[in-house]
Amino acid sequence: MASAYYEFYRGSSIGMALTDSLDELITSGAITPQLAMKVLQQFDKSLADTMVKSVKNKTTLKGHLHTYRLCDDVWTFIVKNPTFKMEQNELVSAAKIKIVACKNGDAIEAGKK
Amino acid sequence: MSNKIVPSIYRAVIDDVISSIKPEFDEYGVSEDVLHDLQDRWEKKVIASHVAEFDNQAAPAPATNSHPTHPAYPPHPMHTHPHTPGVPNPYAPPPSVYQHSHVPLPPAGAQVKAEPVDTRYMLSQGMAHPSPYAMPPLPGPQIPGARPPNGMAYPTHPPPPPTARYPPTAQHQQPPQARIPQVDGPSALPKIPQLDGPSSSSSESPSPPPSQGYAPRALHPSLPQPLQSTSQADNDEAINSDLDDSDSDNEEVNETGSSAEQDIVFCTYDKVARVKNKWKCILKDGMIHINGKDYLFAKCTGEFEW
Repeated sequence: MASAYYEFYRGSSIGMALTDSLDELITSGAITPQLAMKVLQQFDKSLADTMVKSVKNKTTLKGHLHTYRLCDDVWTFIVKNPTFKMEQNELVSAAKIKIVACKNGDAIEAGKK
Repeated sequence: MSNKIVPSIYRAVIDDVISSIKPEFDEYGVSEDVLHDLQDRWEKKVIASHVAEFDNQAAPAPATNSHPTHPAYPPHPMHTHPHTPGVPNPYAPPPSVYQHSHVPLPPAGAQVKAEPVDTRYMLSQGMAHPSPYAMPPLPGPQIPGARPPNGMAYPTHPPPPPTARYPPTAQHQQPPQARIPQVDGPSALPKIPQLDGPSSSSSESPSPPPSQGYAPRALHPSLPQPLQSTSQADNDEAINSDLDDSDSDNEEVNETGSSAEQDIVFCTYDKVARVKNKWKCILKDGMIHINGKDYLFAKCTGEFEW
């Protein structure tokens, strides 16, 4: 069940914060690695569900595609001079951004109710 | 700011995880205090990452200070000053990390807060320094606050003789520990010069030390976590740092690597299409980390030229 959710969001800010916190607790002996894995699996689920349920805003992205890669159903784009057009027409740009995109398909749909 | 929703979403995720995982903690026989500790650490790290405007930013500020995050320093310079002059920096990068991560702790653990900071102090010490330094001389929970400064200052000082208490017992126990070869080696121990030699003899040092700091952050774009990254990097700096660099330098780190934070999007894709050099993709459920801020989107339409 929990394995139906992607794990790669763990690399995000909130995911890394959790991972580091768990590492600290494991190092101190407060929890076991097995329990930490359970927490991370719960994070995968909670994050995906919360995103689907609560995040509604749309955005657009333009830029120069520097690198593209498709491996094991995971797209990786490196976009130079990306410009995100957020809601309320707020523009956010940077020199370069990396996009890691997993397939929005069976794997994640199967986990949803 | 369109990342206004980020705090509430993150809050919802944290609460959901904590409440949903509680049965598992019970099942594993782990106290609920540990669960609260986890939540506490998690929230503080998220807040300290400054990826969004969190309402309760002011409240946990002093506690955040105990974590080695840069934003916490300016408001509390007093904690660092008393100690820094006493600690020489023969090896500039690593000791500075140790100082930053530890210096704020002793005052807090000894004077301000008794219990919570004490455990955190023990923990972070165990990660960055070998426990034998702290553990054997610790008879009780109160004394650690006062004594570990000696234990920490000791390995950073090349000439250790002043403190005569530690050498006989501590040094004989230390050699097996592989975590502190650089700090410990040059002072007195002839047993681990091999580990120490390469790093301090500057045969390789010009390039590895700076890359150590960048490599983990490029891979983990979110938070600066010197404690663990340094302790790991110390163990096997030569091999890992080289590999990390060559992997990431090729494409990604060259330009933005110096900022120590990589702009990245985690998302899923519905459709990726290309016509000649025009790419169009529909992305879903994304977490954008850009310019140090986080944004979320349910749907993102991307149009690129290759």
